[in-house]
Amino acid sequence: MRKRRKKRPQSEVELNLAAMLDMAFQLLTFFILTFRPSPLEGQISLRLPPPQPVAVVRGGQPAGTDYSNPNPIQGLNTLTISIFAHPKTGTITALGLGEAPVPSLAALDARLKQVLSDVGNPFEQVILQVSESCRYDELMKVIDICTRQQLPDGRKLSKLSFVELPGE
Amino acid sequence: MAVSLSQEIKAEPNLTPILDMVFQLITFFMLVINFKTAEMDLSLKLPVVGSARPVETYGRRGLLVLNIDNAGNLKIYGRAITNIDAYIRNEALAAMMSHRLTPDDLAAGEELPTTVVIRADRSTPFRRINRVVRVCQDNGFRNFALKAINKED
Repeated sequence: MRKRRKKRPQSEVELNLAAMLDMAFQLLTFFILTFRPSPLEGQISLRLPPPQPVAVVRGGQPAGTDYSNPNPIQGLNTLTISIFAHPKTGTITALGLGEAPVPSLAALDARLKQVLSDVGNPFEQVILQVSESCRYDELMKVIDICTRQQLPDGRKLSKLSFVELPGE
Repeated sequence: MAVSLSQEIKAEPNLTPILDMVFQLITFFMLVINFKTAEMDLSLKLPVVGSARPVETYGRRGLLVLNIDNAGNLKIYGRAITNIDAYIRNEALAAMMSHRLTPDDLAAGEELPTTVVIRADRSTPFRRINRVVRVCQDNGFRNFALKAINKED
């Protein structure tokens, strides 16, 4: 004989979601209050060794003594870029590459391309001589130009040294 | 028809959808939260450099973030550092210990693998930045990252 199961009355399990919702809202409030989107920042990666003496010259030729040499950079192991700035505003007033003045940032870019791509004239260090009053954003314009340069071995120029020029 | 006072009407709203939505929002904020912004001084106006690239350390190297305002003050986690030399020396010691280097190793030409991230205000004079850079160099740091933004906001 088949047994007939008794139909039990279905009991509903009621979860109290209010407490969970309270906790979830507290967590949400915390995250909203502490949320600070990180700014989109970039960077220029550099190796900055301390500057070495600039007196090293190939072939025993002291710098700036060969007046017949039309290219004063030729022969030097150190490439020096000079940045002169206005003492009050800190903007760039003059630029120099080696012993030669450079009229503008664009001209510096072109001249650096020419100098650094010369396979027969590798530089051991590139020194930026900067006026102490030079603004950081003005300096970064020159660093930007330097780090865009390609060395004869295909690497980007990333090794620079800073020297502070005394104020006028 | 009048309802007797003894019969209470229970209003039971379905809380499940709102809970779903709240959990989704929590998940979103948990995913986008970035505790690294705490070490950045967001009041600084960084210089604009077109070729600035995002950070590419992939977690291999330690970073030492230095915020320098236009008066040359160093700020770390919102706190002004009065003795810059001592702070950087301590950081260098910590980096040496974590990479098992000794002062003799540094003297022999080894360098600290930590990258010094410089976040300086665009109007800071060079002498103030160079002072911090020199202290870092004296303590064995050679890798630097100069922070900038790609375009003006």
